[in-house]
Amino acid sequence: MTGLECKEISMKFGALAAVQMVSFSLNPGEILGMIGPNGAGKTTLFNCIIGIHKPTFGKIYLNEINITGMKPHKICRMGLAKTSQIMEPFQAMTVFENVLVGALHGGGMKMGPAKKKTEKVIELVGLAEYAYKLSGSISVPARRRLELARALATGANILLLDENMAGLNPHEIDEALEILRKIRNSGKSLIVVEHIMRVVMGISDRIIVLNYGAKIAEGFPEEVVNDEAVIKAYLGEKLSSLKVA
Amino acid sequence: MNYRTDRIILIIFLLISTAVAFLPYFVQSEYLLRLITVVIFWIGIAGCWNMMSGYTGYIDFGPVVYFGIGSYVAAIAMTKYMVPFFPSLFLSGLISAVIAFFIGIPTLRLKGAYFAIATFAFAEAMKQISLEFDRTFKVSFFQGSDGITLPISGHDNSFFFYCILPVTFVVMLTHYFIEHSKFGYGLKAINEAETAAEISGVNTTANKLRAYATSAFFLGLYGAIEAYWITYITPSDVFNVQKTVQMVIMTLLGGMGTFLGPIVGATFLTLISESLGTRFVEYYLIMIGGIIIVTILILPSGIIGTLKIRKRLRFI
Repeated sequence: MTGLECKEISMKFGALAAVQMVSFSLNPGEILGMIGPNGAGKTTLFNCIIGIHKPTFGKIYLNEINITGMKPHKICRMGLAKTSQIMEPFQAMTVFENVLVGALHGGGMKMGPAKKKTEKVIELVGLAEYAYKLSGSISVPARRRLELARALATGANILLLDENMAGLNPHEIDEALEILRKIRNSGKSLIVVEHIMRVVMGISDRIIVLNYGAKIAEGFPEEVVNDEAVIKAYLGEKLSSLKVA
Repeated sequence: MNYRTDRIILIIFLLISTAVAFLPYFVQSEYLLRLITVVIFWIGIAGCWNMMSGYTGYIDFGPVVYFGIGSYVAAIAMTKYMVPFFPSLFLSGLISAVIAFFIGIPTLRLKGAYFAIATFAFAEAMKQISLEFDRTFKVSFFQGSDGITLPISGHDNSFFFYCILPVTFVVMLTHYFIEHSKFGYGLKAINEAETAAEISGVNTTANKLRAYATSAFFLGLYGAIEAYWITYITPSDVFNVQKTVQMVIMTLLGGMGTFLGPIVGATFLTLISESLGTRFVEYYLIMIGGIIIVTILILPSGIIGTLKIRKRLRFI
């Protein structure tokens, strides 16, 4: 059981290399933070892992099975789910039904157990009061949680969260962090892409940093924030001096 | 919102269906019986379109092709191979579904208008093939524009009533199944956001293909029944794009992706064109056009569709 392993992934769109030779691995039960400036290739890397793009080069292994180039639904059923930065709820369905789709199809469950699972997941992410509202009519923070719930309902062991906390206020972020810890404690591993340093620093076991599609640093949070290259590319002088102080 | 309305609507639907099944014993007028049969026929056909396009949002603009294939399979099986009606009927559905499966693999990759154009083109191509095949290959198989005359059935209207009613009944039950099953949630998810559906574990290709082939199977049945009913088919008749337009409009009037939509839409349009057509022979098409425009303006999501949104009903 090695969790997720990416070997030298590259993704090119024409002449543009969005991701270049990125390798990393995710151990079971670990939270891996991923940071980098806008356009660094974080979302593209996620889309390669999840099967939306087929990487131009490189291999992805999930529990030592090569999943490169598989269809997204197959990868999802093997235990890898993603929440999108651009939220795409099934708007004409209720929150409950949205999550149910994940449980039915991603989890491969029958209707009865799927409904029970859906209830549990909705409870876990704290969406119970919205369960029977149309997902198109709920607020942004609730939609972020809905994305998370739909991914959780598939029963995936590895969750990729693409800016799942963007647009939340500090109080909502605290709640979201609490939910992520609960999820981790239930034995799942996470990759968290986030611009909010407080989130990344607070929750990650390890951090990798992307810039212009390449991995420029990897390590424990404290190591990464003091890394020269990272400061130059992403954090800026001020924040690092604050951290040192 | 609540699951109880679903049950109530299903029970009402079952009761009405049962009542309708006894109609031939009470209706004396042959005209009336034929009209009812036509209404049920169109409910089913609009339902076939709704099953695929209504739920997945993939606008199929060539469903008539499976209707036509059904007609031709039945006609050729009955005249050339002397197969009795009911086996030919089944064969029609089966062959339609199989063709739909193989056509669906490439076409269902297309999105939006491109899918509509591809399916429309396939329907027109099939029409041309059945018109020109015999002349090109010097055989007598499709019989080109001469058409095929089927054996005269000698059955009365009630026979066809009892052929069409069960098929429509099954089509509508399939709708109910779609609304409440894993398969249906998959289709609706595809309609809303296909990529999100795919990463949530929905096998989008398989689900779309399944819906497409199921819809084609039933359309094939209807094609075969109509061929046997009218006893004479030509390519320009059975592959007529007007049939496509009619099933699309009926479903849009009723409400796409709803259970009652095809029923309401098909009944509404058939009855209106029948009652206006007999009274205003010259102008009735203009009037129907006006009615359709006004209905869509007032009820943009169709009669049932708008009701469903306004009343926030989960299923009707």
